[in-house]
Amino acid sequence: MPGIEKTAPRRALSAGRSSKMGLPGPAFALILIAPCLLLSVAVIGYPIFDVIRMSLFDVSRTGVVREFSGLANFAKAFADPVFLQAARQTVIWTVCVVAGTLLVSVPIALILNEDFYGRTIARTIVLLPWAISLAMTAVVWRYVVNGDFGTLNMTLAALGLPFENYPWLADARMAFLIEILIGILVSVPFTVTILLGGLTSIPESLYEASAIDGAASTRSFYYITLPLLWPFMQIALVLNVIYVFNSFPIIWIMTNGGPANRTDILITYVYKQAFAFGKLGNAAAGSMVMFAILLVFAIVYLFLTRAQGAKNDD
Amino acid sequence: MTKAKKSLVCWALLSPFLLVVLFPYATMLSTSLKQKDEIFTFHRTWLPRELYLGNFAELIFEKGFGRALANSLAISVGATVLSLAVAIPAAYALTRMRVPGKGALTNYLLITQMISPIVLIVGLFRMFAYFGLVNSLLSVIIAHSAFFMAFAVWMLQSYFATIPKDLEEAAWIDGAGRFSAFIRVFLPLCLPGIVVTAIFTFVNSWNEYAMSLTLLRQVTQQTAPVQIAFLTGTLYQIEWHLIMAATLLASVPVAIVFASIQRYLIGGMALGGVK
Repeated sequence: MPGIEKTAPRRALSAGRSSKMGLPGPAFALILIAPCLLLSVAVIGYPIFDVIRMSLFDVSRTGVVREFSGLANFAKAFADPVFLQAARQTVIWTVCVVAGTLLVSVPIALILNEDFYGRTIARTIVLLPWAISLAMTAVVWRYVVNGDFGTLNMTLAALGLPFENYPWLADARMAFLIEILIGILVSVPFTVTILLGGLTSIPESLYEASAIDGAASTRSFYYITLPLLWPFMQIALVLNVIYVFNSFPIIWIMTNGGPANRTDILITYVYKQAFAFGKLGNAAAGSMVMFAILLVFAIVYLFLTRAQGAKNDD
Repeated sequence: MTKAKKSLVCWALLSPFLLVVLFPYATMLSTSLKQKDEIFTFHRTWLPRELYLGNFAELIFEKGFGRALANSLAISVGATVLSLAVAIPAAYALTRMRVPGKGALTNYLLITQMISPIVLIVGLFRMFAYFGLVNSLLSVIIAHSAFFMAFAVWMLQSYFATIPKDLEEAAWIDGAGRFSAFIRVFLPLCLPGIVVTAIFTFVNSWNEYAMSLTLLRQVTQQTAPVQIAFLTGTLYQIEWHLIMAATLLASVPVAIVFASIQRYLIGGMALGGVK
């Protein structure tokens, strides 16, 4: 953020001044930060500790932590074919949704960055799925693709297509595909927002200069737009991987992991282990596996943004 | 290419995606205005027979959906107030003061934002159970605040950094204390940023599903999204006309509010995301 760089030297100056006024600088700053930190450590930090502990101990159905069991919970999880299947499906789910989201979002962002009549309306509609609860989106789509009463089959039949009572969610492959498409639909708004932010940061003068040099617009797209948009695409990619990997309501509400666990992903697996089967140790081990993967993604993200920040400072 | 022609091309290219976005809204609207017999029939149409509003009345007066909306409202307002109450001082300190360990703190907040609550849901549930807060709206308010606060700090920081320091310093020189300069000079200037952050937090809390589902286990405490999903699972014949009316009620007001702040998100999100 340019604002921070500009105020940096002044901050040092005013820190001196405020101590002259009798306000303890760093200590006072820590007091201001304390409530935020306390809330976060209590509500996020403690459960992390608790889940780590449960994953390493033998836990009863009612949640009593018994003796230390080492990696037995992990061994049990990795021996469970449903866990392995859910892990495989998580990879398919994440890769397909994230790749699909970027493929759809880049052209949409480029179009919305053009100056055309009704752009504000188009932008509002594109961002609309972001405003709605994923749970409600999932409920509505579950009805849309309902075989007997859904509006999709109603529309397709009205167009003369043979989908009178086609049960879209009965077949696991089709159900998973539909869930992936809905995953893409709800991820596009956030991604377009990040990309639009990137596009508006490209100075118009670059395009004018390249037009004066006689470059065609496709050339300026490859040599100006894409390279300058690339860091934003990386950020969108990593954040989407994190969000999609974590995404629960769409699959939970539309198919509940079924039929026969063939649309389960790790997060629905963990939830079922804990709240349907009462296998808390198993659930905790699954959570830890997810947590470790998320941490890797988070570090990649920090690395990317830091590299980007350093480049901006040059 | 003239602007009119270009507009036509742009709309044409966007239309497949816009159609998919609007399809569920058309479904909600059409279905919620239909009567039960119009849905469970062979000859279904998009247009309802008449503008029938009975589903909304039945939902509110007989199905207790009004209570779900009230629960959602209480939780969202509570979570917005609590997360702003802790995020504003923190963001102020982070942009205006020398904070020891600032880098580590920012990274920690960022990482907490990337952990889905569901990964920790077992631990979260046990913790609130220990304090006897399961089945209390307070547990969801606290949980939402903790998970949405990092983003609020992030957004507020980027707004706070745009406010020139000179104004506050002028107030200090005029004899105002740091606190009264903060209240009288700083806060009014960042009010737009605070409002956008508040709305964003409110919408996130309103829409949240997994934590509300897990921590509130009685039907009377369900939030709107949880109750809507619950209605699809319990009945032999799912009452889609009521469910679509419920999703319409619970989503359209929020969508309108969200649409009103979307242009502020485009600048702020990109800045926050890259830095």
